[in-house]
Amino acid sequence: MVADFTRIYPTEAGSEARLIDDLSAFLAQHRIDAQIGHHLTLCVSEAFTNAMIHGNKWDRTKSVSVHLSVNDAEVCADITDQGTGGLTSIARRPRPGLLAESGRGVDFMYRYCAGVEFAEVEGGGLRVSLRVPRSRTKHVVK
Amino acid sequence: MEISVKEKGGVTVLTLNGRLDLASGTTLKEQVKAQLKKGNTMIHLNLAQVDFINSSGLGALVSIMKEVRLQKGRFTLSNLATYVQEIFEITQLSHIFEIFATEEEALSSFHTAVAR
Repeated sequence: MVADFTRIYPTEAGSEARLIDDLSAFLAQHRIDAQIGHHLTLCVSEAFTNAMIHGNKWDRTKSVSVHLSVNDAEVCADITDQGTGGLTSIARRPRPGLLAESGRGVDFMYRYCAGVEFAEVEGGGLRVSLRVPRSRTKHVVK
Repeated sequence: MEISVKEKGGVTVLTLNGRLDLASGTTLKEQVKAQLKKGNTMIHLNLAQVDFINSSGLGALVSIMKEVRLQKGRFTLSNLATYVQEIFEITQLSHIFEIFATEEEALSSFHTAVAR
């Protein structure tokens, strides 16, 4: 089974809430485990806000595209901005201090996703691809 | 995000309902700043109805904590849902914030501190 979802959101503060509403509906429709869904929602929201802030730099004429897909094994999300890349700044991002007010989003992605990829797309934007398994990993205690 | 504000025994209690993200975090910061301007520097946030928080929401809480400390006040949190608690633990912010299991415990800690 494969299902897809693509939406384009304007660069404005209210878009994040609309994205999370749409994502929650998509995850519920496909009966994704609540904890996995929660972690994916967190990571997609992080990529999305980074796209608006660092990618599109709050330029309201630019948008963020979100593509979701689900199959029997995993849920995938691609979040693409219309900025000017950003691979270098991601690679060089400083580790956030304990009292930092930002900078934790990418760490959440690496913690909760089985796959995280950043790629510069044709035309200049940055695409973040996230992948999480549909079922929780079973830990065998020996 | 709905935010209700009440005064309880000298402590300003904000009860949040909804998601704590970029937009609602900004609203929350503004509401707390308004309280600080009025001289209300003892602030408690009840997060029982917060079912989602991301790094923007965490950033808002860190900003509020710094602002309250600057005003020589005190800032506490209570009733963290399991998922929210997990986020605080993995970011180690659980070591920085004063977090209580219940609002009553948090409010009682303010009174204990005043009595000392």
